[in-house]
Amino acid sequence: MLRLALKMLLGDRAKYIMLIGGLTFSSLLMTQQRAVFNGLVSWTTSHMRNMRASIWVVESRVEQVNETKALRDTDVNRVRSVSLVDYAVPLFQNVVKARSSDGSDKQVQLIGLDAGTLKGRPTQMLSGGDEALARLRIANNVIVDVVAAQRLSAVRGKPLKIGDTFEINDREARVVGICKTEPHFFGYPYVFTSYDQALQYAPRQRKMLSMILAEPKEGHTAYEVSRQIEQETGLKAYTVPEFEKATVNWVWKNTGIPVSFLTTIILGFVVGVAVAGQTFYSFVLENLKHLGALKAMGAGNLLISAMLFVQAFTVGLIGYGIGIGITAVFGFLVRPIGQPPFLITLQDLTGTLFSILIICFLAAVFGILKVARLEPAVVFRG
Amino acid sequence: MLILFKRISFYVAIAGVVASLYLVRAQSLKPKDPGPLSEPGRSEFSDSVAATGLIEASRENVRIASPKAALVTKVFVKVGDLVKSSDALFQLDDRETVARIASLQASLTANEAQLGIDENQVADLADQLQRVVRLEKDKVATEDELRRREFGFKGAQARLISTRAQVEAIRAQLQEAKVEASVLTVRAPRDGKLLQVNVREGEFASAAALTDPLMLLGDVDRLQVRAEVDEQNAILVSPNQPAVASLKGNASFKMPLRFVRIEPYVVPKRSLTGDSLERVDTRVLQIVYEFDQPKFPVYIGQQVDVFIRRTPGVAETSKP
Repeated sequence: MLRLALKMLLGDRAKYIMLIGGLTFSSLLMTQQRAVFNGLVSWTTSHMRNMRASIWVVESRVEQVNETKALRDTDVNRVRSVSLVDYAVPLFQNVVKARSSDGSDKQVQLIGLDAGTLKGRPTQMLSGGDEALARLRIANNVIVDVVAAQRLSAVRGKPLKIGDTFEINDREARVVGICKTEPHFFGYPYVFTSYDQALQYAPRQRKMLSMILAEPKEGHTAYEVSRQIEQETGLKAYTVPEFEKATVNWVWKNTGIPVSFLTTIILGFVVGVAVAGQTFYSFVLENLKHLGALKAMGAGNLLISAMLFVQAFTVGLIGYGIGIGITAVFGFLVRPIGQPPFLITLQDLTGTLFSILIICFLAAVFGILKVARLEPAVVFRG
Repeated sequence: MLILFKRISFYVAIAGVVASLYLVRAQSLKPKDPGPLSEPGRSEFSDSVAATGLIEASRENVRIASPKAALVTKVFVKVGDLVKSSDALFQLDDRETVARIASLQASLTANEAQLGIDENQVADLADQLQRVVRLEKDKVATEDELRRREFGFKGAQARLISTRAQVEAIRAQLQEAKVEASVLTVRAPRDGKLLQVNVREGEFASAAALTDPLMLLGDVDRLQVRAEVDEQNAILVSPNQPAVASLKGNASFKMPLRFVRIEPYVVPKRSLTGDSLERVDTRVLQIVYEFDQPKFPVYIGQQVDVFIRRTPGVAETSKP
């Protein structure tokens, strides 16, 4: 009987394609928008993947990673004095003005790493390698990311290479290496240099230390050590998941981005329900004769319901698969460029699957209600 | 079910699921934490107070100054030279003094010659007087003659004393000029190594206390570390605790420290950028430690990371 249901579904090619199309579109819309949203949100915390550390110590009022409230120089030693801290190093971060050799100004995210350990250094060096990192300790040397190499070059399409120079706040900066980073939330390119050099580049302020990166002693969790740092120094210490969560929460609270994406995702769901529901309902209406005949032949409402559910879930699952497939193709296409933001997770896939199943369930229920009220005799009247 | 397998859409859907799962996996991979490039400064003690230290000479450095404002004519030493106490360091312009010594010497010689003449005259007159006294007893010479000889002798004696005094005066002046000349050679006040030489031949040495001394003399045999602890952590520091210093930049070079003293006065944090416009809002407690010369070279003025052992049971820092 269920085989018959599939035959019925697949036999009507036009309706089948229409059903699949609607569900594919709905699945694509929901997954793709979620992925772009995830990507955008992940950009807000890209700092923590571009500079690696287990514990981020910041001023007590800092709410998210892109925010800088300066600390005093001696705070590094106060964090080092905390007994569960293995080691701690200073980090400078600020947005400064850089000038390329053709004279145009660009804002860049300047990162100053502790000169000795270079803790928080770029994870993926494209050129220059470890040697470039060692040369970072020499005055005026910087490592730029790919975005900076493109934006700060004088000639369009000819990115900066090792040995090229540009200016940061009227001081020379020589490129000794090029790295790959995850994009900054505000789109600023990253420029890495040593902490002492960064202080020379940055406009003078009373307090210059932005953050302290720390690692827990072996056998202790970052969470445990963070709490101890907070208790002993009065500064705010975040573990990576905590800081990510705090940053994402900040984005939810302070920007309209999540709401706009949420609207699109809900729209995807509504469009899915509308298109799939309507098409399925008209499919049921068209096949009402046959269903009535089946009913007259003694098929119970339960059996008919099972048939409709099979039909609905079959188109649902196929539409879902094609939809996320198209999303994946989109993802593969944008991946090398890094624009627009795109990050797909397992939760997105299961979330969409769940939504599609609800849509199909609703569509099937509409159909079932119609068929259930059907008098079998009606089909023989005409 | 079988009819479903005949549909392309079925396979497209399967491919879609596989592709998106692959993408999920690929995107969840993060590059590994590269870790520190060189050994970071770590504490060897379970509880410690961290500080920033500066290596300095164990006795305070001597800022060599000039006794007089004068031109420098000769510099006898260069940076890094080891000098003994009273070794000549540099020479101030002494041409005037040398000329004065020569002229005084000449006048001394002239006056000494005069002294000889005067002595001779006194002897001659004394001899004449002696004879006239005898003749006067025999009533051969007149009293007038005797008186004249007596006055003549006394006059010569007075002249001799005056010339002698003049010779003494010139000797004293000569001595003074020689002392003056020796002052113009600046000498090392004690043994040590020249850490800085900021004066060159032909330059003018001012007699004032300069921010950049003419020369900086330090004792490099024994070095010490001046560790600075944030005033908020001052309560955690107690005397006679061991400490370990590691070179800034590469903490695998470590050296044990011995406690010397805690400076009783808390000073404003010294900024090492050398910018006089820098405003400071932190004061630091300074603790002095000594150490034996390690196997690797260390230099005066070098920065080190210091970890001082914390005594158990000392109060935790309170929240600010």
